Amino acid sequence: MLDLPGRIRPYLRRAYSVADADPVRGEIELLVRTIGPGTAGLEELPEGSFAGLLGPLGNGFSLENLSQTQRVAVVAGGIGAAPFPLLFRALSQARVRADFYLGGRNAEELSLAARFEGVVPGETVLASDDGSLGERGFVTEAFRRHAAPARYDRLFACGPMPMFAALARVVSDLRLPSEFSTEAAMGCGFGACLGCVIPGTEKPFLITCTEGPILSPERIAWEKL
Amino acid sequence: MTESSEPLAVQLGPLRLKNPIVTASGTFGYGLEFTDFVDLSRLGAICTKGLSLHPHAGNVPPRICETPAGMLNAIGLQNVGVEVFLSEKLPRLREKGATVIANVWGDLEEDYVSVVRALEDAEGLAAIELNISCPNVEKGGMLFGNSPQATASLVGRVRAATGRPLIVKLSPNAPDLVLSARAAREAGADVVSLVNTFVAMAIDPETARPRLSFGTGGLSGPAIRPLAVRMVFQVARALPGVPIMGIGGITDLPDVLEFLAAGAAAVQVGTANFKEPGVSARLVEELALFCAQRGFRPADLVGRAHASSSVKLDAGAEG
Repeated sequence: MLDLPGRIRPYLRRAYSVADADPVRGEIELLVRTIGPGTAGLEELPEGSFAGLLGPLGNGFSLENLSQTQRVAVVAGGIGAAPFPLLFRALSQARVRADFYLGGRNAEELSLAARFEGVVPGETVLASDDGSLGERGFVTEAFRRHAAPARYDRLFACGPMPMFAALARVVSDLRLPSEFSTEAAMGCGFGACLGCVIPGTEKPFLITCTEGPILSPERIAWEKL
Repeated sequence: MTESSEPLAVQLGPLRLKNPIVTASGTFGYGLEFTDFVDLSRLGAICTKGLSLHPHAGNVPPRICETPAGMLNAIGLQNVGVEVFLSEKLPRLREKGATVIANVWGDLEEDYVSVVRALEDAEGLAAIELNISCPNVEKGGMLFGNSPQATASLVGRVRAATGRPLIVKLSPNAPDLVLSARAAREAGADVVSLVNTFVAMAIDPETARPRLSFGTGGLSGPAIRPLAVRMVFQVARALPGVPIMGIGGITDLPDVLEFLAAGAAAVQVGTANFKEPGVSARLVEELALFCAQRGFRPADLVGRAHASSSVKLDAGAEG
């Protein structure tokens, strides 16, 4: 959760996933697309400014029980790709092959792919809604076409809720163990405000910030979204 | 405790607090979410998430959205229920040395009374705060706060059910806040806390749909502070001698001083806990430093705006 101190717009902190981190230099990288007052406030900060960081919060992708013989799919919608440079680095270090499916509305949104050059330990498949770059159509459909022959053992995904809803059906059909990095408007980031809930299957609501943000799709009540 | 060991202590009727900084219900979880940021024993008190007789799931999302200098929420009083609070939360709060005020709500008068009875024998509760002012549930909640008759009836029944200090949290959405405060007081409230959130709305201009699934929500944060200060001032003037906890967008020490000057004997810090989880402890330290430097006790600061004031409370709206 990032705070721009002394400002009343944005007032609340905003949740960001860490794109990459260098513990030696004490640096973290965020991938940000400006969509509202929170991200605009961050973009307007002059270089060298201070911001308040509360974190790390919530859980992470689970890489246990992944071996070198297994194959992983990573699916991202637009700026949902933000947490994946770090994940790809961890997978590379574990010598696990991972293919990257990145979708966006158009070629411009897919310019994000440049950040992943040389980072992905496998194939990269791009998909754009308008067909201006890569395969035409939703990234979930591109993934479905490639998934059967590729025989993945696990899937990690991040993107908007409509993408997740479609992807949940695909991974259910494939019986593919999956983890979705979900997103919700968060007030606090540590389970106090209860603002960031999403409907669950085993209980009425899951608290995204403390029980997630990474959740398996079968824990989410998609029909209630 | 001697005065010198608790220089910030305040007395609100039967309720003595080690300092006037309290965290507001609904913005501080059950306190335990904040132990990484705040030594709970340093705070005047914490108000728990609103407790109901049975666990309550709350509203479907989206439940919050940011607004200028604040936020809207329609959480819908999601809580673990009074039994789980007593078995799992309160013992841990006792270990942390927290002064705990249990916030209570229900659909019916009977529900409030049942929760208060369930809490009556619990060890380590300083007071009960009745939420008669939540705007985000279908029944109960604000309905009790919107009519002085309903307020009086509910407060009277709860008063008969508890020997603990009783705080009634008032709604700024009530037609006449002074009448509500008077009704609560005459029915046995020891303290009134004000204000809860203002019913408000935000609409997504692209989709033309309300940003919250509940439609409306409660507005909080610095945006409401001047409104809340006026209301505290108004109640303090109309009902001198009734202890008030002031609530509304408190973020920094000058905001605390402003509410004390308006007539609050203590304050509750709310939405700021989300932005800065350690804010309550920071305010205790800043207030201690201020009082030490100026030679004040907090009680000296209460109501000072009234002394020199020629404020006409009904004149502002037309101006």
